[in-house]
Amino acid sequence: MEVKILSAKFDIKDANKIAIAKTLGAYATLDKLFAMKPEDVIEEVKKSGLRGRGGAGFPAGVKWGFLPKNTGKPIYLTVNSDESEPATFKDRYILVRDPHMLIEGIIICSYAIGCHDTYIYIRGEYTTQVKVLQAAIDEAYAEGYLGDSVAGHDFQLNVTVHRGAGAYVCGEETALLESIEGKKGQPRSKPPFPAVAGLYGCPTIINNVQTIASLPFILTNGADAYKVYGTEKSPGTHLFGISGHVEKPGMYELPLGLPILEVIDKVAGGVWKGRKLKGIIPGGSSTPVLLPDEVKDVTLDYESMAAHKTMFGSGGIVVLDETVDIVQLVKNLIDFYHHESCGQCTPCREGLGWMLKIIKKILRREGSMDDVLLLRELCDNIEMKTVCVLSAACTMPVRSYLDKFRHEFEAYVQGASSAQVKQE
Amino acid sequence: MADTIKLFVNGVEVEVEAGKNLIDAIGAVGIEIPHLCYHPALGADGNCRMCLVGIEDGRPPLVPACKTPAQAGMKVLLDAAHIKKIQRDVMELELINHPTDCPICDQAGECKLQDYYMSYGRPESRMTVPQVQKSKKLDFGCGVVHDQERCVTCGRCVRFCRQITKTGELGIINRTDDARVNIFPGRPLNNRYALNVVDLCPVGAMTSKDFRFKQRVWFLKKAPGICHGCAKGCNITIEHNREKYQDDIIYRFRPRLNPQVNGYFMCDAGRLSYRQENEGRLLEARLSSQIRPLSDVLAACNQEIERAGKIVVLLSPNCSLEQMVAVKTLSAKLGASLSGFSDGYVKAGDGDGYLIQDDKSANRAGLTLLGIDCTQETFEEAVREAQLLINFNNDLTRSYTDSELKKLLKDTKVIAVATHNDRLTAMADIAIPVATSSEYAGCLINCDNILQAFALAVSKNQQPLDIGAIAAKLGSPLQSRAEQFAELRKYISILKDFEADTLPAEGLKLNDSEAANVTA
Repeated sequence: MEVKILSAKFDIKDANKIAIAKTLGAYATLDKLFAMKPEDVIEEVKKSGLRGRGGAGFPAGVKWGFLPKNTGKPIYLTVNSDESEPATFKDRYILVRDPHMLIEGIIICSYAIGCHDTYIYIRGEYTTQVKVLQAAIDEAYAEGYLGDSVAGHDFQLNVTVHRGAGAYVCGEETALLESIEGKKGQPRSKPPFPAVAGLYGCPTIINNVQTIASLPFILTNGADAYKVYGTEKSPGTHLFGISGHVEKPGMYELPLGLPILEVIDKVAGGVWKGRKLKGIIPGGSSTPVLLPDEVKDVTLDYESMAAHKTMFGSGGIVVLDETVDIVQLVKNLIDFYHHESCGQCTPCREGLGWMLKIIKKILRREGSMDDVLLLRELCDNIEMKTVCVLSAACTMPVRSYLDKFRHEFEAYVQGASSAQVKQE
Repeated sequence: MADTIKLFVNGVEVEVEAGKNLIDAIGAVGIEIPHLCYHPALGADGNCRMCLVGIEDGRPPLVPACKTPAQAGMKVLLDAAHIKKIQRDVMELELINHPTDCPICDQAGECKLQDYYMSYGRPESRMTVPQVQKSKKLDFGCGVVHDQERCVTCGRCVRFCRQITKTGELGIINRTDDARVNIFPGRPLNNRYALNVVDLCPVGAMTSKDFRFKQRVWFLKKAPGICHGCAKGCNITIEHNREKYQDDIIYRFRPRLNPQVNGYFMCDAGRLSYRQENEGRLLEARLSSQIRPLSDVLAACNQEIERAGKIVVLLSPNCSLEQMVAVKTLSAKLGASLSGFSDGYVKAGDGDGYLIQDDKSANRAGLTLLGIDCTQETFEEAVREAQLLINFNNDLTRSYTDSELKKLLKDTKVIAVATHNDRLTAMADIAIPVATSSEYAGCLINCDNILQAFALAVSKNQQPLDIGAIAAKLGSPLQSRAEQFAELRKYISILKDFEADTLPAEGLKLNDSEAANVTA
């Protein structure tokens, strides 16, 4: 089931070095690229149906089309490498194992949108990744793939790596821009959207690492070759991080549209230790959980996930076996999002802390059914009332656990121990 | 009135000013959209989430009204059940970690959180877990005391220091419910407008060391006034109260919106100048250091005037136009030389190009307009020849040292018509108490040639006469404010269209020819 499009060079030793990468085809698309008109590049990407791999799944080519024309201001590309969503670990592979694919993608995108300054915003904790990436960028400059004349063509492009300082919220695109500008990483109200007024008030495109890294394949082989993989509306391949209670956790590149159970069984070796499946988090910690009887016809694509009232997200699949204490899981979840709330908007700032205290109270077996119901109501009261979706990233999954595993919460408030008792 | 547009609020058509956001546009016609972080002088931030409204045009279901421009035909939903629920929910979240000790909070009675709780809140607390605890009573400098627990982190104070004073002393540190307003360690507030953050704070988080716990705000009577601290003439609200068996006392000045003059703010020095209205006042008339009835003292003055060969009349640059014109006619009748010498009121280089002016007097432009000589030479020459100086509250100690004054006035009798019982009054042979600016009505012309009127704000148990009335008692033909105002029309032609109490609230901008209409 696995395919090797993005991950083609991942297992080759020293593929992060430009000399090796070039023998494997890195930067080979550039002559073709510069022979094309920028609008034709955008058209090709639109045709490929490539969707943003950061989680929202917005078509990349369409996003680029939102850039206003002739504003007299520079256009910026910002690559979001702030991969911080719990259970998500795909971009780090690209950054370390094939950074030149990313740089080549940056050149393609920059040429298409008319950008001469690209910022890569990389998660602060990615210390190894930033070293490897910066070394690759230095090599690309040295070999003339970046700088005043990209690959000898009349096109200037500079790439700057900007490290985050450890805030999850800086993965939100406008908080990311604030952070690059040297401000406190807090999301901006939209509109205006970054395509109109982004970095330093200029038109800005923000794309995920994997989105950008998909461009060299599309340009080399054409949109149709990309669409061979995946479904009609969710074409292409995706790097899936499968973790949790499976026999073979890891990062796998798969075409979109595969049945999720088949992937867990055949690719990841099935639920470990022969245990029963309790639930699946389909795309990172912020996506609503799916029950075993819900996942039978779920496929790994945007449409199927939406049809099952969850989200494709970032491709971080977490498998929960029958031993998982859902109340404990929800506490960990709220703990994370509470800690990462930027503190700007009232509902998220005050509400997530309140939710955390309530779930802790329930875990201490001091809670009542009123607390469970209050927790459930708070999910509704907080969600979508804020500038960004961080609050929703917490309340959407919490709501799903509260609705789908209500009996476990009831057991806690009744003092019984049908769920495995764990200390906080 | 600016351009107007029509839009719908809850299905009812309203006409509002164009080019404003929904909060201001709809608020101007009396429909409140609750908000904490938005302030018209600081712009929209959108963090409090109290102003979320629905717009029925297919855009996202909720938008912050502070960030949404009013547009023609817009259908704004305010009273729908889901909007009311949001307001209630956000209020609940604002309050869960807020101390519920309004009775001991200095903001009580003028607190947005209190008001909104009554209008939009939930009757009962559902908070059964411990609240977040933060620091209290932090001294932020410049007389600002901060309570982090009462703070709703709306950031108005932070934005004020960044956008208005551009000093940036305040910031919000930390994330999540640990976010709090603070100063940098060892770098307290250090600007001349810092106390405005107390007014801006919608809750009791920022309090004034000077005012806190002196009065419950609901006892304060509010009267509009003009600050006399400098030539800017910032519009203020004079907040005063007469406690039982006591005299009427001013407790604070607060800035009052006048876009043409001071906007929403005022400087700290002007704000604290209310103290001068209360403290060190000359309360009784004195004849050679003996307290005597005012009628006796006035009779003595008239004798001195008759006896004196040459008289100098000196005016304060803080006098109202009415007082100036009254004194000017008195002076003419007495054949005295009139001076407005007051160089000591000017502190060169103290102004900041924003509100604070070099000139610490309120109506120097009035002296100029009435053609009153203000030069030092003329004044000193006149004093040397004169037997009598009638000083209408001009603080000569600002212009001279005590020894210089003694030397200058050694052969001259002095009648001090004064508000304050200070060194200068003590030197006088005769002292007559008069009203301060909060105790009379009048007009001033500020540094930008804007003529502003103010009304009587405070009535003391023993209300002193104002300078205009004293001038009348000493022989000025202008016996009332109406007569003074009529005289003023000779100098300021535009006043023919107005009466003393019908001048526009935002002031009257005089054109250059009017402001320099010297006929004397």
